[in-house]
Amino acid sequence: MIDGSSFFIFGMVAAVSFFAGRDFVAQRAEEAIMPGPGLTSMRQLSDYFPPLRGTAGDTGIFVFEGAEAGGNVLILGGAHPNEPAGYVSAILLIENVRLARGRLFVVPRANASGFTHGDPQEGAPQRFGIETPQGTRFFRLGSRVTNSIHQWPDPTLYITPTGQKLAGIEARNLNRAYPGLPRGSLTERVAHAVMELIRKERIDLGIDLHESAPEYPVINAIVFHENSSDLAALAQMALQGEGYEFRLEASPQNLRGLSHREWGDAAGIKAVLIETPNASHGRIKGRPSASLVVDGRDPYYVKAAGLGRLFVPFGPEGIPLRHRVARHLAGVEAVLGALSELEPEKAVGLEGLPSAADVEAQGLGAFLRPPRL
Amino acid sequence: MKYAYHLIVAYLTLHVGWYILREKSFWKQAGAGLVLILFVLRLLLIQ
Repeated sequence: MIDGSSFFIFGMVAAVSFFAGRDFVAQRAEEAIMPGPGLTSMRQLSDYFPPLRGTAGDTGIFVFEGAEAGGNVLILGGAHPNEPAGYVSAILLIENVRLARGRLFVVPRANASGFTHGDPQEGAPQRFGIETPQGTRFFRLGSRVTNSIHQWPDPTLYITPTGQKLAGIEARNLNRAYPGLPRGSLTERVAHAVMELIRKERIDLGIDLHESAPEYPVINAIVFHENSSDLAALAQMALQGEGYEFRLEASPQNLRGLSHREWGDAAGIKAVLIETPNASHGRIKGRPSASLVVDGRDPYYVKAAGLGRLFVPFGPEGIPLRHRVARHLAGVEAVLGALSELEPEKAVGLEGLPSAADVEAQGLGAFLRPPRL
Repeated sequence: MKYAYHLIVAYLTLHVGWYILREKSFWKQAGAGLVLILFVLRLLLIQ
């Protein structure tokens, strides 16, 4: 029955399915995070909202506790898994810091489902590598939104839990879903779990780490809830002293569902969001590649900068990941410093944080643990 | 619903496979083979 050509075709189908399937399944694997000695305990987001347990929305929380009482701070990376400086900064914190005072909760993969796929039709690489002295550490490059395998279909119009009307795809955007809904979509349940974490751990300050395209006006910025204007202004001054220009953007009161709005409104905590410029998810970029993610060089952005179309300077040297992570780390340090200045009883004593200057000079690999070989 | 979906994809996968067995033209078999790859991946890997 099976003649030679059928046998050949079935063999090819099996071979192509195997190799394509292997690449596809690799997207679901979580790369290892190797915490430093400062880690006190590990929790899951589902510890704060048990219905999330066993779902694609559950994710790890790395907890650092100091010996002295102080403030409680939440740092969120990976709300948008196509913005690598946000979650690489969170991972760098996890692998390096110790706490002398207060408590720090770091969530490096806030939208865990978003890390299991890529944005359709973007041709983005599945992962990118950072060289360490002992070898290359690889990290997933995911999608801005929850995987449609885990949440489908998108509505035509998404109405956020606080009533904002947005395009349908935003139903899978974690940073439009706050304060979440306990019986909502997966993304809304993740947002609700983050809010539960904030409430149950009595978080004082939340820092959400993001990136934006160079042609997007909210960039190299600290976006702040109006209850955090003093904090953001103090942080900005400290950053200017270090040579980092950040603009201050007040969170618009009529733009709902975002962390810097709803964390402050629904939980009453101080809330800031830090943005760095990422050419790899901009619309003007050329060919997407791991090198574009890490080195941040793109000739089309150089041309756009020459035409005055961008909101950040963009030269042939690009804006590398190490510079974007350095900006995030400087931003975190400055915001924590401002908190201790404004409310000394809520200070968080962070030790071992690599300085932005060291990250710029030595590269990210010097501060990441070696890969598991 | 998930099982119904997998049954539909399995039915279509078998049909494409059966078509390849019956077809005598190599290029028509190859075209169907490309479609079969998509169905196999969908059947085995999509959650």
